[in-house]
Amino acid sequence: MTGAAQLTRVFEGLASRIDASGFRSVGFTSALSGEGTTTTALGTALSLAALRDETVLLVDANWLQPSLTADAGAEKAGGLADHLATRGELAGLLRWASRPRLAFLPVGDRAVARPSLRALSSFLAGKVASHGTVVVDLPPILAGEAFVLPWAGLLDQLFVVLREGATPLPVVRQALARLGPSATPQIVLNRAAVAAADLAPALHPVRV
Amino acid sequence: MGPYLKTARRYRWLLGAMLALVWGAGLVAAYSEYTTTFESEAIIWVQRAPPQLAGNPEDPNVTVVQTAASQQASLFNQLFLADSFLRDVVARTSLNGTLGNAVQERKALDDIRKRLRVQTLGTNLLSLSFTGRDASIAREMVDAALAVRGQRVAQARVTATSQISGLYQKQLALGQAQALDLQRQVEEFDQNHDGPLSDLEQRRRDQLRLALDYVQIRLGDLRGRIDQAVLAPALVDVSGSEFQILDEAREETVPRGGVKPAALLVTIALAAGAVLAALLVLVGALLADRLAGPATVGRLAPARLFATVPRVGTDGRGKRDLRAELALIAFEDAGAGSRAAGR
Repeated sequence: MTGAAQLTRVFEGLASRIDASGFRSVGFTSALSGEGTTTTALGTALSLAALRDETVLLVDANWLQPSLTADAGAEKAGGLADHLATRGELAGLLRWASRPRLAFLPVGDRAVARPSLRALSSFLAGKVASHGTVVVDLPPILAGEAFVLPWAGLLDQLFVVLREGATPLPVVRQALARLGPSATPQIVLNRAAVAAADLAPALHPVRV
Repeated sequence: MGPYLKTARRYRWLLGAMLALVWGAGLVAAYSEYTTTFESEAIIWVQRAPPQLAGNPEDPNVTVVQTAASQQASLFNQLFLADSFLRDVVARTSLNGTLGNAVQERKALDDIRKRLRVQTLGTNLLSLSFTGRDASIAREMVDAALAVRGQRVAQARVTATSQISGLYQKQLALGQAQALDLQRQVEEFDQNHDGPLSDLEQRRRDQLRLALDYVQIRLGDLRGRIDQAVLAPALVDVSGSEFQILDEAREETVPRGGVKPAALLVTIALAAGAVLAALLVLVGALLADRLAGPATVGRLAPARLFATVPRVGTDGRGKRDLRAELALIAFEDAGAGSRAAGR
């Protein structure tokens, strides 16, 4: 097994459950920064690309700290913000990753547009739909509520990434309350000490 | 308040055991302290000697602000600061020869210093006490401290008296020489002037006699002072009015003087127990409020646990930066990993 395969295997459980649930668009956020949201989004996208026989679009929608864009060296490139501001066609803004079936959309010029419900709705219903799966990296809820809420109702599932043993529960409750009653986020427990195989009773039944 | 009460209920057995341990230990220590403490106390009446009997009534260092009792109390406290004083005290008790080497002696003397206590009870009344584990030693220490203090004061008085007497003697010798010289001048004048004196001569003679009279008066005064300097301390000592022991120190048969230390121990134990319990509840509440594992996710309902991402172990190079490696896989150009790792 190659090193890359070993690494993406860390996210196999999560990707499998997403696949089994039939989610086509998922977003990852957190209560606070430092929970591992970007890592989880990236790893999940890589795993899904390997798992599903269709393209996966990884979208950097972290308006506060676009780490994926920086990782891809696309700080100056156009991206989601430019597309939302109708300054560029999606096809021209996409970057194909070095892995098969994985495309990446950088955040773009954040000064030209902010994510709004209408713009995101047309974005997700547009050419993005041609991609099998969309994985969105979002900023922390408490720090960037305005950048998370528009996605919450549009994505098939919003995941709140929590770091085991670190995230204070009152803070998580506060973050979940900010999302409102309409969104029912699910929890992804990051850096868990318990092996995934031991968690079966704790995991809720997946939709098939 | 709710989470803390909940935590306190959760850890009630641990809290109970800890409090029983700390408070119980404190109570036992306090009881032990109380039952093994014996205090001997002497009550002393003091008053200042009349100024006429003071060694040197013109001494500007003699304080008049302090009461007689506080003056004597401060004298005691100063004496207690001196190791030599305490050594002399110990030498007069059953503890003589038990001080050990220099280091042990220093510790023992410090301990004795803490146990000796002087307290003013009024303007002329003070008490001297010693608190120890042995009733007879406590009495001996008080008696010895009083005796050594008397000895030291007497020594100081003798030294002061001899110094003052020496000064007066020198002044007397000088005055006597002056008187002899003046007497000689008067006699010479009388021999050289037989007949009636002129106004100028009469004036000169009067001056000489006046100077001689003054010196003789001064000599008389000095003799009086010398007598006073020698006799006054002796009179004070003989009369005993300056320092009277009203109640001698007794050998107590029941514990005495341990109430305050015992109460302090109890207070400290109660406070320590309460603080430890509060800390335990606080830490417990904080830890309970962390996402400890999958089981605690249930407390976030209606949100539910969807999946877990296992913790990635370490490789030979130390802690692995997972995102840097994932970035390298996804955006394979050479810069991706280092860019991610740099953040």
